[in-house]
Amino acid sequence: MKPLLAALRAVLVLTAVCGVLYPLAVTAVAQVPGLKDHANGSPVSVNGRGVGSELIGQSFSDADGRPLRRYFQSRPSAAGDGYDPTATSASNLGPEDIVDRDGEPSLLSTVCARSRAVGELEGVDGSRPYCTGSGVGAVLSVRPDRVTSVNEPCPAAPFVAEYRGVKVECATPGQDPRAGRIVPVRGAAPADPAVPADAVTASGSGLDPHISVAYAELQARRVAAARGVPVGAVRALIDEETTGRALGFMGEPVVNVLRLNIALDRAAPRRG
Amino acid sequence: MLTSTLPASAPAALRKLDPRFMWRNPVMFVVEIGAAWTTVMAVLDPSAFAVLITTWLWLTVIFANLAEAVAEGRGKAQADTLRRTRKATTARRLTDAGEETVAAAELRRGDLVVVEAGQVIPGDGDVIEGIASVDESAITGESAPVIRESGGDRSAVTGGTRVLSDRIVVRITQRPGESFMDRMIALVEGASRRKTPNEIALTILLAALTIIFLVAIASMQPLAIYSVANSPGVEGGFALGSHGVTGLVLVSLVVCLIPTTIGALLSAIGIAGMDRLVQRNVLAMSGRAVEAAGDVDTLLLDKTGTITLGDRRASEFIPVGGTTGAELADAAQLSSLADETPEGRSIVVHAKEAYGLRERHAGALTHAAWVPFTAQTRMSGVDVDGRRLRKGASGAVTDWVRGQGGEVPSALADVVDRVSASGGTPLVVAAAENGDVRVLGVVHLKDAVKAGMRERFDRMRAMGIRTVMVTGDNRLTAKAIADEAGVDDFLAEARPEDKLSLVRAEQAGGRLVAMTGDGANDAPALAQADVGVAMNTGTSAAKEAGNMVDLDSDPTKLIEIVEIGKQLLITRGALTTFSIANDVAKYFAIIPALFVALFPGLDALNVMRLSSPQSAILSAVVFNALIIVALIPLALRGVRYRPSSASRLLNRNLLVYGVGGVVAPFAGIKIIDLVVQLVPGMQ
Amino acid sequence: MGATTAGILFVGSLILVLVAVHVPLGDHMHRTFTSRHHWTAERLIYRIVGVDPDAEQVWSGYARSVLAFSVVSVLALYGLQRLQGRLLLSLGYGGVDPDVAWNTAISFVTNTNWQAYSGESTMGHLVQMSGLAVQNFVSAAVGIAVAMAFVRGLARRRTGELGNFWVDLTRAVLRVLLPIAAIGAVALVAGGAIQNLADPHTVTTLTGAEQTITGGPVASQEAIKELGTNGGGFYNANSAHPFENPTSWTNWIEILLILLIPFSLPRTFGRMVGDRRQGVAIVAVMATLALLSVTLLNTAQLAHHGTVPESVTAATEGTESRFGVSNSATFAAATTLTSTGAVNSFHDSYTSLGGAVTLLNMMVGEVAPGGVGSGLYGMLILAIVTVFVAGLMVGRTPAYLGKRIGPREIKLASLYFLVTPMIVLVGTGIAMAFEGPRGSMLNTGPHGLSEVLYAFTSAANNNGSAFAGLTVATTFYDVALGLAMAFGRFLPIVLALALAGSLARQTPVPASAGTLPTHRPQFVGMVAGVTLILVALTFFPALALGPLAEGIH
Repeated sequence: MKPLLAALRAVLVLTAVCGVLYPLAVTAVAQVPGLKDHANGSPVSVNGRGVGSELIGQSFSDADGRPLRRYFQSRPSAAGDGYDPTATSASNLGPEDIVDRDGEPSLLSTVCARSRAVGELEGVDGSRPYCTGSGVGAVLSVRPDRVTSVNEPCPAAPFVAEYRGVKVECATPGQDPRAGRIVPVRGAAPADPAVPADAVTASGSGLDPHISVAYAELQARRVAAARGVPVGAVRALIDEETTGRALGFMGEPVVNVLRLNIALDRAAPRRG
Repeated sequence: MLTSTLPASAPAALRKLDPRFMWRNPVMFVVEIGAAWTTVMAVLDPSAFAVLITTWLWLTVIFANLAEAVAEGRGKAQADTLRRTRKATTARRLTDAGEETVAAAELRRGDLVVVEAGQVIPGDGDVIEGIASVDESAITGESAPVIRESGGDRSAVTGGTRVLSDRIVVRITQRPGESFMDRMIALVEGASRRKTPNEIALTILLAALTIIFLVAIASMQPLAIYSVANSPGVEGGFALGSHGVTGLVLVSLVVCLIPTTIGALLSAIGIAGMDRLVQRNVLAMSGRAVEAAGDVDTLLLDKTGTITLGDRRASEFIPVGGTTGAELADAAQLSSLADETPEGRSIVVHAKEAYGLRERHAGALTHAAWVPFTAQTRMSGVDVDGRRLRKGASGAVTDWVRGQGGEVPSALADVVDRVSASGGTPLVVAAAENGDVRVLGVVHLKDAVKAGMRERFDRMRAMGIRTVMVTGDNRLTAKAIADEAGVDDFLAEARPEDKLSLVRAEQAGGRLVAMTGDGANDAPALAQADVGVAMNTGTSAAKEAGNMVDLDSDPTKLIEIVEIGKQLLITRGALTTFSIANDVAKYFAIIPALFVALFPGLDALNVMRLSSPQSAILSAVVFNALIIVALIPLALRGVRYRPSSASRLLNRNLLVYGVGGVVAPFAGIKIIDLVVQLVPGMQ
Repeated sequence: MGATTAGILFVGSLILVLVAVHVPLGDHMHRTFTSRHHWTAERLIYRIVGVDPDAEQVWSGYARSVLAFSVVSVLALYGLQRLQGRLLLSLGYGGVDPDVAWNTAISFVTNTNWQAYSGESTMGHLVQMSGLAVQNFVSAAVGIAVAMAFVRGLARRRTGELGNFWVDLTRAVLRVLLPIAAIGAVALVAGGAIQNLADPHTVTTLTGAEQTITGGPVASQEAIKELGTNGGGFYNANSAHPFENPTSWTNWIEILLILLIPFSLPRTFGRMVGDRRQGVAIVAVMATLALLSVTLLNTAQLAHHGTVPESVTAATEGTESRFGVSNSATFAAATTLTSTGAVNSFHDSYTSLGGAVTLLNMMVGEVAPGGVGSGLYGMLILAIVTVFVAGLMVGRTPAYLGKRIGPREIKLASLYFLVTPMIVLVGTGIAMAFEGPRGSMLNTGPHGLSEVLYAFTSAANNNGSAFAGLTVATTFYDVALGLAMAFGRFLPIVLALALAGSLARQTPVPASAGTLPTHRPQFVGMVAGVTLILVALTFFPALALGPLAEGIH
């Protein structure tokens, strides 16, 4: 009994020290000028109205989820319906998640679909290795006598006609796609696709406020066109909102999408 | 040798398959259960593969038992020889009334028996009366008779040995059935063998590894079932079904992974270690003592008989006054001709070696009058052709010179002191001729260190063992000998009880101490020491107290005993390392074989390019069994041990048994696979 | 500068700073745990707790105190979660479900910080800062205390006493963890981590949509979460969340905090046993394994083998842009090499071989450098096992630091290294044998198997990171993983203390040329080798059916 009593008292006193005094002391220090803004979430406001946090990414799409052409687009997000800070999450899908299941697209098909969509939006080639032209994973289920394209349910036309002399069929709904050896087909897509990696993958938090410089550059032409300003002006803004590696070697150079879009709105207000 | 004992040991190996015996070796017990299980499976669902796997699993168990049986067999042969010499003897017991004849088995402790020339000594005891020469070849194998006499440190006699001359009275010191011979038989047979602490520790580690692998393989089953279920369109191959990995393959995998190599050889290593001692005529009373020998930090060595030859020898003639060396040598030689002590002989020898003086025979000098050494005069000499020569202790000879009216040169005292200071003994030689009495010089007698001692002690030092010389000599003499012999430390003017306190002091510092002893007053120290080697020539008390007995009574053997102890531990460690290192290759053989049908990519792990999954698994099992047989000689002989620092020793053994243990099975399994793939049903 | 070069500099700068800092910090901890002087504040605490700080405990007394403190901690944390709805700062969240509350209580008390809940939608500020964060401090302090008791077992001679748990606990919190955590917290705020007690508030975004911006005492919790190798995030996204880890340089600081104490404790150990070289050898084993792992993980992630990464052309799924692939991999290595389990990127989406490395890191038993305290005693016990096998090969009864490894010692050491793999393998086996637990997998095939294997490996090794696709908010996983965490933490602690008690009683054997030297590169290589071989042999079958089956084509 004695150690239990001592333990109870110890838990209480250490809770007071570590669970009350410490966080309150740190909070007090954090409220000094210079830290205060950070401690309160780095809020960003436009014309005095809070529009979010510099650190929390946002979606720049319309009510139906279609990307707004006049804004730079953030990365895909797995947080709730996208950039929901109350449901932060990653996709958690694995590197070999390549077979669609019950209408749920696999990670590969998701990547392919995103790539195709970004390609269309930005007017570049959206093809990628292991993707079909229709924007799903190019994956075959191979049995000696029968080959199916597992991510292309009938009546779709399979992305290849033949595999090693056997005719490739579309996937019959309801059939177990694993009924053969699963073979992804790389296809003829260029090794260096036009759509950058961060544009087709979800971040860890689902709140990534940044995109790569390459993805920003890719979007510059479309945004400039939508706003009717020269591409050079947009590129200049990208440069301004680009954060290099800390101390030259930590992390990667990134562009803050919210700040870039706010800067855009300020520099080139939408006409009409 | 092995080829002859292997078949002989086979019946014993089969008898050991009895589970009541097997369970004492947890690793091999698991193999036996596995073999029994595969036997059932092979009967229910026969195939070439099943029969071959089952056969080789049984062979694995049998090979392990064979290793132990062979090791025991060597001891058994020796025990049988001993038994033959132990005939039913009768004893002549002394009673108040006189003498009675009883069977040797009826003798009790404290009984007095008489033994005369030609009779066999009926039991262990001490000579309390008389002196006799005894043939101890029955236990030592040495045919030269030894002297046993009452009252000294050579009083112990052993039952079963034969008195060759004279008559002795022996007080029996053994209890019935516990004679030295009985214990010796039990020891070499391994009947009284208990696991040593280190063996127990290693067994625990091996059991832990066995459990880990059992669990690793058992838990693989649901994973395998899931994997099969997840690939409905793919054939699992011969090893995999919808119920997971087949039992046959599972058992093979377990047997290959658990440390069977060391598990099979562990007990053989221990028995063989004892056996190696027996071959050097040392009897260890327990395996623990042998192990402790490997750990020894401090060796206490008696000076006399161990480090030095035990007698002093002339090493130098130092003339004083106007005498020449040759003159002195001549006088010294002449005065020693009749001196048959080792010192006297050594003077003659040195005179010949150093000055080329031809040896003269005492008998040739017919008119010489020899003056023998007496405790009163403390000198000896000769009177020949009017010349009187005397040699002896400095005081005695100078007194004689002064008494004859001669002068003692002042230089003499310096020489005498110098010789004493160097640990030597000065003998002063003087001559009186025609009234001219003068001191000729000094013979330097030195306690001679045995050849090769320094090298041996250097080796000990490299092994991290501190050597301490124990002697009754004064500090000065002791230091000189210690320096010459190269021991690390010495204890001078030691009384028997000092030995005990030295042993205790060393142990208090956490060190393990080994020592030899023979006298009754050595017994407490022998009992206290971690390794106490009693000389067979010594007293019964010493033999009781020590945990080893050297039948050759050679005190320098302690060094070999230490090496054997170390070799025993090294062999265990090396084979454990080898056994575990082997698993790497076995995994690379079996895991791809199991799952390659399901996941063709895993073929990349089949680095040995084994011909088929069946052949891969069988080859691993066969290798696992054959490696036991291949290593039996090593287990019996022990890993080669060369004294050197721990670091260097470890580097070598790691390279041979660690790296070698990883590499060897890759080659071995590949070679076996090349043969096995030809067997029908292996594709 | 290329991404690879920058990644190497990132690792190199961490190494440089650790090399510089581990000496003063290790020495500070040595003073802390050997000093006879009590601070006034500490005396006050001892009076409240009701213990005599100058009375030492034998191993069993020490173990009883550890267990009593942990049991009470679990109950307190469970109660606090269950009563959340009626307390302050609950943000409107009700009491936590019993399953989750039990799992979470065990999880934080065992220094695992496995999260079966989503922080931002389950836990109010009070539970976070006065419940979870308190355990971040004290569970780490327990680890340090046990490590110190273990080292005393090696350092002392002929005594049964291993120190006083309450003193070690208090000093670890007051003299080591609190000061560093406070500095770390302020640094994180400077980088952008939030620190307030505000409720979530909703803003209208640039496009007119609504977004809820959360508040909370995040920085104070984040600092101790990394420093105490805890890993339980304030948010579900853990250190990937911009409010927890806002910039590439806060990322660097967080990795440093993770590695700081585990890499400094060997120095403390060396000082306590009176031979700094022994500490250097231990830290060298840890560093060798850690560097190997960081290199492998970075290589695997940058090489991005696998269908999806090759389609994407980089392993960016589940990583934050500001950190990039390489720094994410370095964080992943640090968090799995220690028992932290915080993540700044999501391991489930890593390449197969990269994911295998994170798994292997945990399977190594969290010793390179491992959790605060637990890494040190784990590594020392591995050293003892190594000494046993290798020591035989020099022809002596094995001894470590002069303490002989006899049957009792090897029995305890064997059980120690048996416990965790057994929990992992048995747990994984059971989960995979039943339909229900299998249904929790997000991914199919080998990757699904890896998710389950990862969960039990993480729980039993008290790591807390996850292949987060697995749905673990089920009764089976809450209970099974809770048990895995509890057994994986406390069985080894009791065994380690028993071993320490056994070692403390011995008279050490003096070293000689015949003793196996345990401070040379030879020994370092051997311990690393033994560790890797034991782990590889134990887990090879499971790894073959999981990440290897998935990753080798």
